[in-house]
Amino acid sequence: MNWISISKREDLPKNREGVIRAAAVVLSIVCAGIVIWILGYNPIQVFPSMVTGALGSEIRLQQTILKAIPLIVTSLGILVAFKMKFWNIGGEGQILMGALAASYIALNVDGLPKPVMLLLMAIAAMVAGGIWAFIPAFFKAKMGVNETIFTLMLNYIAIKYVTYLQYGPWKAPESKGFPKVANFEQNAIMPELFGIHIGWIIALVCVVVVYIFINHTKKGFEITVVGESRETARYAGMNISSIIIIAMLISGGLCGLTGMIQASAVEKTLSVNLSAGYGFTAIITAWLSRLSAIAVLFVCIAFAILLQGGTYIQISMQIPASVADMIQGIILFFVLGSEFFLQYRVNLPLWNQKVKEVA
Amino acid sequence: MGQPLKAIEMKGISKAFGSVKANEDVELTVYNGEVHALLGENGAGKSTLVNMLSGIYHQDSGTVRVNGNEVRFSSPKDSIAIGIGMIHQHFKLVDVLTAKENILLGRSSGLFRNSKQLTKEIRAISDRYGLDVDPDKKVYNMSVGEKQTLEIIKVLYRGARILILDEPTAVLTPQEIKRLFRIIRNMKEQGCAVVIITHKLNEVMEISDRITVLRRGRTIGTVDTDKVQVGSLIEMMVGKKVDLAIRKEPPAQPMRPLLEVDNLHVVGHDRKSALADISFTLHEGEILGVAGVAGSGQKEICETIAGLTKAEKGRIFFDGDNIIGKTPREIIRLGIRMGFIPEDRLGMGLVGSMDIVHNLILKDYQNQPGIFLKRGPCAEKATAIVRRLDINTPNIYYPVKKLSGGNIQKVLLGREIDSDPRVLITAYPVRGLDIGASYKIYDLLNEQKSRGAGVLFIGEDLDVLMDLCDRIMVFCVGRVSGIVDPSKVTKEEIGLMMTGGKEDAAHELDQHQ
Amino acid sequence: MKKMLAILLVLALAMGALVGCGGGETNGNGEETPEATTIGFLYIGPITDGGYNQAQHEGTMAVKDHFGDAVNILYAENVAEDIQAVKTNAINMIDNGASIVIATSFGHMDGMEELANEYPDVTFLHFSGYKMNDTNFGNYFGAMEEPRFLSGIVAGMTTETNKLGYIAAYPYTEVLIGINSFYLGAKSVNPDVTMNVVYINSWGDAALEQAAAESLLAQGCDVLTQHADTSAAQTTAETAGKWAIGYNIDNSAVAPGSFLTAPVWHHDAYLVPVVERIIAGEYTPESYYGTMADGYIGLAPMTDLVSAEAKAKVEEVQAQIMAGTYPIFVGPLNDNTGKEVVPAGSAMTERGDIWSMDYVLEGITAIQ
Repeated sequence: MNWISISKREDLPKNREGVIRAAAVVLSIVCAGIVIWILGYNPIQVFPSMVTGALGSEIRLQQTILKAIPLIVTSLGILVAFKMKFWNIGGEGQILMGALAASYIALNVDGLPKPVMLLLMAIAAMVAGGIWAFIPAFFKAKMGVNETIFTLMLNYIAIKYVTYLQYGPWKAPESKGFPKVANFEQNAIMPELFGIHIGWIIALVCVVVVYIFINHTKKGFEITVVGESRETARYAGMNISSIIIIAMLISGGLCGLTGMIQASAVEKTLSVNLSAGYGFTAIITAWLSRLSAIAVLFVCIAFAILLQGGTYIQISMQIPASVADMIQGIILFFVLGSEFFLQYRVNLPLWNQKVKEVA
Repeated sequence: MGQPLKAIEMKGISKAFGSVKANEDVELTVYNGEVHALLGENGAGKSTLVNMLSGIYHQDSGTVRVNGNEVRFSSPKDSIAIGIGMIHQHFKLVDVLTAKENILLGRSSGLFRNSKQLTKEIRAISDRYGLDVDPDKKVYNMSVGEKQTLEIIKVLYRGARILILDEPTAVLTPQEIKRLFRIIRNMKEQGCAVVIITHKLNEVMEISDRITVLRRGRTIGTVDTDKVQVGSLIEMMVGKKVDLAIRKEPPAQPMRPLLEVDNLHVVGHDRKSALADISFTLHEGEILGVAGVAGSGQKEICETIAGLTKAEKGRIFFDGDNIIGKTPREIIRLGIRMGFIPEDRLGMGLVGSMDIVHNLILKDYQNQPGIFLKRGPCAEKATAIVRRLDINTPNIYYPVKKLSGGNIQKVLLGREIDSDPRVLITAYPVRGLDIGASYKIYDLLNEQKSRGAGVLFIGEDLDVLMDLCDRIMVFCVGRVSGIVDPSKVTKEEIGLMMTGGKEDAAHELDQHQ
Repeated sequence: MKKMLAILLVLALAMGALVGCGGGETNGNGEETPEATTIGFLYIGPITDGGYNQAQHEGTMAVKDHFGDAVNILYAENVAEDIQAVKTNAINMIDNGASIVIATSFGHMDGMEELANEYPDVTFLHFSGYKMNDTNFGNYFGAMEEPRFLSGIVAGMTTETNKLGYIAAYPYTEVLIGINSFYLGAKSVNPDVTMNVVYINSWGDAALEQAAAESLLAQGCDVLTQHADTSAAQTTAETAGKWAIGYNIDNSAVAPGSFLTAPVWHHDAYLVPVVERIIAGEYTPESYYGTMADGYIGLAPMTDLVSAEAKAKVEEVQAQIMAGTYPIFVGPLNDNTGKEVVPAGSAMTERGDIWSMDYVLEGITAIQ
């Protein structure tokens, strides 16, 4: 006798869905709370602290938004690829290649006015990120090479290449042998608006553009159809190879733009750390937003709250980084786990039988 | 003991999936030594009911008795142990193993049984029921009929005395159907109980002793076959009187050629020949039927004409222009109005998760100017199609995969005929559809024909092919074995052409695929 | 989208409920004494690394012990050397009341510079950097070449193979000064000595440090030392039955079988007075460069593995260095390409000259 069986849910009533999601949140807080308590901290203090730490003051809100910006732009890039069921795991590498190209412009082109310089850097970054995504897209379109492994491996090439530049040819002479690329000139640094660099405007624009692109353009429609059924796309006379390649150019271009934003606005230089795992985190956020550009905005902000809240409690309550990471991990585990229960039904025949017999 | 023993007695069976009640208070009684047909349209609850008998599902309420004892199945193993054998529509056989090895699979005694002893046992079963399968033949060398026979032997070897066959004739040629019925009669004489699920009424009338009709999850009634008329059975299934005549107007004269296929050769995905030397002409205002064993090249001929599959050599003329080698996009751009209803509706013709409007856009957007998608015209069109074809949907923004099979097919057909196609290619357009929906589709095809379109109709039910089509082209292993006038041949003759003239030639097909 | 909003709402409500419950209690340790000065420390690694960060944190704890309730300490571990990481941690500290932020790794410099501009009311101190301003941003470091030289004497008098091994972070000036002064110390007592250097291209990574140590041991080196954050070199040397000189803190307890001595930091010697000055409003940004004479740096007690002869020699030289009569970089010195860097008859004593070192000396083989 099977003690467990799992089947796909056909339709889930809205209220059940709400119950499952709420249960996930409550369980995650309870579980994380137990862990916090075992480790000797007071959960009653930790959780509110996380929320107020992310939203409680202007400074904190700014910190949260700063973390949300790269996440939003990258998630949108990942979304475009995932919409096509092209599993782009290479966001990290595309971010770095974008940052690399932007930095090349910033360090080698002199005397441009700031708007022109920034525009040039953004274009270079999007092209570079696009090329980094084009490579696997080309092999997938023409030869059916598995894109998951391909994009993943390209991450390491990008990371190692930027490391090589930072430790070698691009090492700034004035840093006295310390492996650091020279800082950008003032004209290559993004201006601020309301105390936050204008990346937030770029992110909002990207949300709108990607939303329109996916939902209201012919290309976006083609990408969605290819993602749903390649055979149908073929049947409708779509050029699948070119759609894959164009979508990936856009996907990689957006990731590359993240690299430019982080290099120009945050680091003011090229650093191998600047992608900070956003390329991977964006996979989670894109997925949680069910591949909707508008939802990406909210999911990424929620995620940034979690990140900033985690950093904040580390400082304010002097909780070790590892504990803050565990709390984040537990919350994420339950939220992602609830997605499974939303899509699948789990039956426990033995359990049900027992319940019935008792009843 | 005048009354024969009750093999199965199901009472008050209810089963719900979420909010959908698949079975509600269903009754089914099957006696030993009888063939019992379970009749009903798609979604009437037939499969749910037998799946409870085979232990796949468990009823929410109601009792099941087998040979008089109440039983509770918690897995298919329990059902097999009690002597119930299920033959699924899709065979559960391992291709690379022999018949004998397949029979042993899943037996707890393992593969280490005395091979000679086993062969003897299989032969004994085969002789008793008139089954004929070589125990050492590999499954991939078997025809569809042989595979089905092997499935039957498999369940009989496991001791089944109650057999359930789910749509057993769907994939068989007329000759194979005859042989299957012979086997079923043998089993009946040996005292087995046989439950056969089907929606082909003439077969029901031929083979069954009694019939239980289900509709919308409820038992409508059980009748003796020899005391019932086909018409009243349909009424029981559908719930209303249905006119079952397919009207056939003679094709327009003179017959102007529309699509000419000349010496077409196509190589399949496995690098083997899928179509060889195909030549035929489709005229304006006619329905040309295509008959053949499944996998004889039907899919390839459709996709090659539609530009989805590359031809090795040959020519296809559309109204005088050679369209061979053109992609679907090029064909659309040439302004050639061709409609194609592929076999796999949700896998190829439609995007299941999208709504009706977007599925209409699919065919339309390439002719739109600019980079933006215009939904307006398609929304109007969707509303019109929904009204015209009487599509049952909450609204035009409802995902098509959540519609019933018949409505899905109507969306697809509605889209394809919306552009007034001159050629309409339809692959198994009524597969899985209930009776009412099927006749609606036949009417629509006839409408296209009278409008002057040429319709290529790939069918599987020979009766329908003969009633609907003006000519029938018979495929056998990727070749045309003849084009016949249905009024001048019998079903059996077509059946022979499908298998190349030999009754058991079907296995050659498998080797050629 | 609606779903996500719903989940956000639920999350907010759930946490809000907890806010309600916990509202009456104090939040963290930052608000207990309103008068207290809050100081935030940024570390590049964990405070239990058995080396660099542990030494930094010992200094931090000494500050806490000295000032007691007058200061609150906040610290963040594993702060990467990029602006993103530095700023987010520092700003969270400032948000929690920190009026002094102290960053302790070289790569934190650019982030600190930005913060100093953005938060003029906060005082920023940076260990090991060279940037500063006139109002609220200073730096501090120490003449580590002095105790490095002394530890070199110990190495030179202990080695049997006349081959020393040096595990180094980056070929960065601070590191090069350490390499050269250690080598000169060894050379001053043992003219035959040579030295191999392996760069690990990280400030601290126990696995990399161990791999480098194993490689140096395989090359025949029998005394190891390191400019990297962990104690991996000492434990690896102990396993191989060789000697090791530590760095940052006294690690005699971690690897008693190999540990000879170590050049160490006494961060409290600067931090306590400077914090006092900042609190009193008497601090103006400076570039502090502590010496052995100041007590900011020194040599950990030499263990029993060090010969009496070596101990005597070290004490003799130490007294001279502290008296300012023993320059370390005395000519003639050539770099390892043969180019003269300090002419005969002169000595390099100016901090600016020492801190423009971009070479290793003749007799040293460096592997990048």
